[in-house]
Amino acid sequence: MAMEPKKIIIDTDPGIDDAMAIFLAFKSPEVEVIGLTTIYGNVYTTLATKNALHLLEVAGRTDIPVAEGSHVTLTKGTKLQIADFVHGADGLGNQNFPPPKGKPIEQSAAAFLVEQAILYPGKITVVALGPLTNIALAIQLDPAFAKNIGQIVLLGGAFSVNGNVNPATEANIFGDPDAADVVFISGADVVAVGINVTHQAVMTDADRDKLAQSNGKFAQYLCQILEVYFSYHHDAYATRGVYLHDPTALLVAINPSLFTYTEGVVRVQTSGITKGLTLFDNRQKRFAEITEWTDKPMVKVAVTVDAKAVVKLIMDRLMDS
Amino acid sequence: MSNNNYSHAVLSGSSKLIIDTDPGIDDSMAIFMAFQTPEVEILGLTTIFGNVATEDATHNALLLCEIAGRPDIPVAEGSPEPLKGGKPRVADFAHGSDGLGNINLPPPKAKKSDKSASEFLVDKVTEYPGEVSILALGPLTNLALAIKRDSSFASKVKNIVVLGGAFFAMGNVNPSAEANIYGDPEAADVVLTSGANIVVVGINITTQVKLADADLLELRQSEGKYAQLLSEMCKFYRDFHVKSDGVYGIFLHDPVSFVAVVRPDLFTYKKGVVRVETQGICVGHTLMDQGLKKWNTSNPWTGYSPVSVAWTVNVDEMLNYIKKVLMKP
Repeated sequence: MAMEPKKIIIDTDPGIDDAMAIFLAFKSPEVEVIGLTTIYGNVYTTLATKNALHLLEVAGRTDIPVAEGSHVTLTKGTKLQIADFVHGADGLGNQNFPPPKGKPIEQSAAAFLVEQAILYPGKITVVALGPLTNIALAIQLDPAFAKNIGQIVLLGGAFSVNGNVNPATEANIFGDPDAADVVFISGADVVAVGINVTHQAVMTDADRDKLAQSNGKFAQYLCQILEVYFSYHHDAYATRGVYLHDPTALLVAINPSLFTYTEGVVRVQTSGITKGLTLFDNRQKRFAEITEWTDKPMVKVAVTVDAKAVVKLIMDRLMDS
Repeated sequence: MSNNNYSHAVLSGSSKLIIDTDPGIDDSMAIFMAFQTPEVEILGLTTIFGNVATEDATHNALLLCEIAGRPDIPVAEGSPEPLKGGKPRVADFAHGSDGLGNINLPPPKAKKSDKSASEFLVDKVTEYPGEVSILALGPLTNLALAIKRDSSFASKVKNIVVLGGAFFAMGNVNPSAEANIYGDPEAADVVLTSGANIVVVGINITTQVKLADADLLELRQSEGKYAQLLSEMCKFYRDFHVKSDGVYGIFLHDPVSFVAVVRPDLFTYKKGVVRVETQGICVGHTLMDQGLKKWNTSNPWTGYSPVSVAWTVNVDEMLNYIKKVLMKP
């Protein structure tokens, strides 16, 4: 009695760990990828679209549509911080892959998201792996989007820990804090996976060797692009391995029981030195005055993760291909 | 990682102390504790808005000194408003309109000092360079003004123990900010980045230490020199805690911070640069760089001196110590 797979749209800025997440989705019978939407972050949006098309070709899944997302932030900002120092100038470990043959669809990412949510109301999970501009645009485009979309699983934020762009903020939220705030208080069923959780899911050097020794098609491809990502982590963190941010977030859509969650209101600081800070109100304290968190919809925030099981699941599925 | 990097594990000999305060019920507890601690030589009290307006804080500080039989202690009045100006936020819902739990105490006879708080602070650290500790129990306006008044203030003060902030925890004014820092975020950022030897005790620490109803009863039945008065004051404060936090008792914010002056060994600390947000919905948020990552580019935390952030507290010993001092005849 196979369950019908969950329809997911991956909003992505590939990105080395984005590539892992996309491949992981293809190896996961629990989900059916019905589209990729692209966004800036690890690379500019144009390159994200190219890379998304390229990854679909690598996977032999050119049947999946790619809708290009916004090139600017929700407030039309064009000064984007691109993490090429983490993922390479091409976003995929400086491998100079040939350009993809495919093209993105005519629809914008936001329009595609809105259309699909109307087509399958309550059935679609968006897995957002970059800045949240496209999702915020979808919410602005269609006031019913927050209600029509089944769930939004987002990789973003640093809850009660330091950020990774600076001490206050995590990269995806920093990429478009205004959009993130719109999404968090949209009333949609939102699950946030912050770096407080994803920093526990580490692929070690030894794991990479295991990937390299496997015959998996995706494992082989990833080993090609992983070098830049590993050397960045060795340099920036006192850790022997890389953080599996994007594939870990994707697993929330695949097997939510690998995590525990808490519920409350999340707001995003959009100015000042802590711009991009995600601040969680657990609703346990009654404040004397009305606050910016009062009467806002609640979201779920991942608090713990079975990191061993997460890493194993990611490894197993990437090697079995 | 959490190391006890405080200069003196346990206070030895006499220590000169100025308490910058907005009394305030838990301020009163901390001040009486200081009077009951012979190793501490109180050079003076400076006053600030927070639990009450500055004028009322001065009134209450004079009164507390008189009640303690120490009307000789100078009380220097501080700024009536935060650095950026405007009417300060006052927490009368926690401490009563008089700041001392609405128990109708008679007015003090003594007069405040002719000096302003920041003048007094600068004078004392100049008179005793490297010897004066400051316990800051309210918004940090006076200390910021002292730093602005004398550029060598930060290097002359022995140390500053700040009660303020919420580190990787929720605030008490709103989810992002703690009341003392929220009271004057600009001043807090000036003080915390001043390079002075600073220990910050946030509400993530102080809310671990409570006098529960049973402890309050024990206090009332004790021979403590100020036990009766404090018990009366605490009624209002305790009822506020039930309402706001569902806590049947009181948090010991100010007393715990006082103990950081005399028994720093009851805490562990982490060092890191702390900045304060001064804009937006998270105004008053204290954010510490724990130093776990090598940043790719410089950021607003880059280049400032680290401070010691209280990281853990020995709750049992802390509570014992505070109770012992409060119940001392």
